[in-house]
Amino acid sequence: MNAPTPALVGRPDRLRLVGQRRQLLAVMHQRLMFGMLVYAGIIAVIVLRLLWLAAFGDHAGRKTTVTTAAPDRGDIVDRNGQPLARTIDAWTIAVHPTKILGNKLDLARKLAALMPERDEAGWLQLLRSNKNFIFLRRRAAPSLVEAVNALGEPGMALSREPDRLYPQTDLAAHVLGFTDIDGHGAAGMERAFDQRLTDSATRGEPLVLSISAPVQQALEHELLEAKTTFSAIGAAGIVMDIHTGEILAMTSLPQLNPNIAGNMDPEARFNRATLGVWELGSTFKPFTVAMAMDAGKVKSMGQIYNCPRQLHAFGRTINDTHPFGRACTVAEIMQESSNIGTAQIAAQTGAEAQKRFLKGMGFLDPIAIELKEKGRTLTPGSDWSELATMTVGYGHGIAVTPLHLATGYATLFNGGIYRPATLLKVGPGHQVPRGRRVFSDATSYKMRALLRLVVTEGTGGKADAPGYRVGGKTGTAEKLIGGRYSKNVVVTSFAGVFPMDEPRYAMVVMLDEPKGTADTYGFRTAGWNAAPTFGRVVSRIAPMLGVRPDLKREPNMAEVLPYIRKED
Amino acid sequence: MSARSFRSVGWVAGVAATALGCYMVNLKVASERAALEDVETRIVLAERDIRLLQTEIGTRGRLAQLEKWNVKVLALSAPAANQFMDGSFQLATLVAPQKVLDPTAPVVLASAPALAHQPVLASDGAVASPSAQSSPAGMLHTASLKRELPAAAMPRRVAPAPKPVPEKSKLAQAAAERPTPARRKVAPKVDPLAPKPEAKATAPAKTGAAASKPKAVALTKPKAKVETKTAAAKPKREAESEAAAKPKREAATKTAATSKPKSKEAPAKQ
Repeated sequence: MNAPTPALVGRPDRLRLVGQRRQLLAVMHQRLMFGMLVYAGIIAVIVLRLLWLAAFGDHAGRKTTVTTAAPDRGDIVDRNGQPLARTIDAWTIAVHPTKILGNKLDLARKLAALMPERDEAGWLQLLRSNKNFIFLRRRAAPSLVEAVNALGEPGMALSREPDRLYPQTDLAAHVLGFTDIDGHGAAGMERAFDQRLTDSATRGEPLVLSISAPVQQALEHELLEAKTTFSAIGAAGIVMDIHTGEILAMTSLPQLNPNIAGNMDPEARFNRATLGVWELGSTFKPFTVAMAMDAGKVKSMGQIYNCPRQLHAFGRTINDTHPFGRACTVAEIMQESSNIGTAQIAAQTGAEAQKRFLKGMGFLDPIAIELKEKGRTLTPGSDWSELATMTVGYGHGIAVTPLHLATGYATLFNGGIYRPATLLKVGPGHQVPRGRRVFSDATSYKMRALLRLVVTEGTGGKADAPGYRVGGKTGTAEKLIGGRYSKNVVVTSFAGVFPMDEPRYAMVVMLDEPKGTADTYGFRTAGWNAAPTFGRVVSRIAPMLGVRPDLKREPNMAEVLPYIRKED
Repeated sequence: MSARSFRSVGWVAGVAATALGCYMVNLKVASERAALEDVETRIVLAERDIRLLQTEIGTRGRLAQLEKWNVKVLALSAPAANQFMDGSFQLATLVAPQKVLDPTAPVVLASAPALAHQPVLASDGAVASPSAQSSPAGMLHTASLKRELPAAAMPRRVAPAPKPVPEKSKLAQAAAERPTPARRKVAPKVDPLAPKPEAKATAPAKTGAAASKPKAVALTKPKAKVETKTAAAKPKREAESEAAAKPKREAATKTAATSKPKSKEAPAKQ
């Protein structure tokens, strides 16, 4: 537009000058405009941002500290929702030795009075050290925190930090496990589900265990009493739902307090129920009979075996505690817990079948459970001779965990279907696994009367809880010490099922090295210690589990009673 | 002219007012939101406190502690099989009165004692305890056990007659005679559903006014015929001890409950 028109006439140099000027002006205008637009843009952006913030932004008083109630580590609760492990904010007392303003000697004196784990000299030495920060006490009691605060020393640091608390202390300690100082699981379910408990997406929801706190308490209390009475060095107990594989209670003694797990004896931290393996003796006999029945070798409870006073086989001698010295029936073999009879039944079944059944019940593998503390079973392995078959038949030469035994009994009595044990509550998020058939339904049914017989007529008489139709088998196994079976050191156990006419719960009670007492006439066999403990636990837990006591109900005892000769 | 020149000023004022209004709304919303957040924060804090308190209660009341108390103090044990009930009916049978078949107990006379008791109840609270105890029992049994309608209705009509005749022999006679005529007469008149409440309701009204002992004696005698006879014959003490020896029976059977205390009183007055 402003370009010189050709009509304009002037001196060429002047004309050139005007053209340059105009050009310069135009450029300046352009630059000015550009600069203005830039500033306007920036201001517009700021204004828009302000408007945006005013409309949708946070306000100045927003608190960012407390926004959710989710704990730092998920809770663990029992099947009824009772908390078994929780994270709380605990007080921590620490000191910054370099920031102490007051007299260190005075402070050391006062601290020694408050926290007597060190004497004055010790405290003084600690306060005079060049360290920047020292933890004095974690999970301090509020009264102590108050007292330390009252010292008024700015060098003392009081703070809160999340801490794992087990409100029920000893209850189910071996199932729960414990956490290390950093708050990570070090044992038990804390370890097995560490990821699930710490993940921010899942920790809001508590981890629901299959454990039932009242049942667990009853089992623990009765076992502890038995352990004390019989001066045993340890004990283990398991209660299991045979249809779902849920473990309702599992304990191992000596007790463990997970709140102070670090200070506990390693013996207490050892989980005898899943980590320890034992030769459990006669409690294996029902499996042997069931195997023979399933394999078609034993056709009736009245099948006759020759039961001499001693059986010599493959250079070994097998003995009985109550030798028959005559022909006896399968029912009698079980009633009197005859090793000689059971060994013959096992031999008849054969090593291959025995291995197949044991494999089916999971006895040859580490126990299937969520816990990471799993014991390795000890078996004859490659040396599964006929003698080994016979000894395994009555529970020697094979070492399994008590949980294996409970799973085995569950398999035997739930209709013959193996399902892995679980510590998580069965429900919408955790279905019962399909399982695999090990024994036939008919075998499972016939075994009911046989094991009930052991309690009504045989060695397990003291395990009876009137009205609850307890059935089970005693087991007394000599402990292998230095490669030899000791006559005096035994492991006694009782494995059973109740109510026998409609089995629902399997339970195993084991005592490690019980001693005889005056009440047991010096006997230390399972019938005198494990069996009565079993009976007491059943009479306590059965009502909680909804088993109705009924003195008139019994399994079909006509299966076995005709084959028992009453000794007079 | 002026309107047109001020138009731009008007626009500016309008826009400014609108912007200000929008800003005020905005401010209001922001403050509401802040208050809401404050409430949310307080809820979370309260939840935390609840959790903390629950944990503390749970820890103090842990099962091991309860067990310890039980072992040391309460000594409760698991219920035995025979302590379980089949249902509420079986439970009720535990407290049900034991029915003792006593051929001498006159079933017929069940409601008469209820009449006799009322005076004691209504007039004076300080009267001997046995009567006070027995009267509710008597009422209860009249209502529940007696199914014979005439028997309930009977006393109202028949009782007044023997009043003047407190002797035992006459009473015995009267008792022997009464039931049959009374039943025959009364039964047809009374509404089959009415008698039970009637017997209760009318008794206090009647007796409350004139609550003299002789009347009570006279009334009770016929009913407690068999027992009073023996009781009267024996010295008072014996009668009492006998009565005390059979507390169960008294409570259990209607007749016994209502008549016994009276029989005790009767000889004393005489």
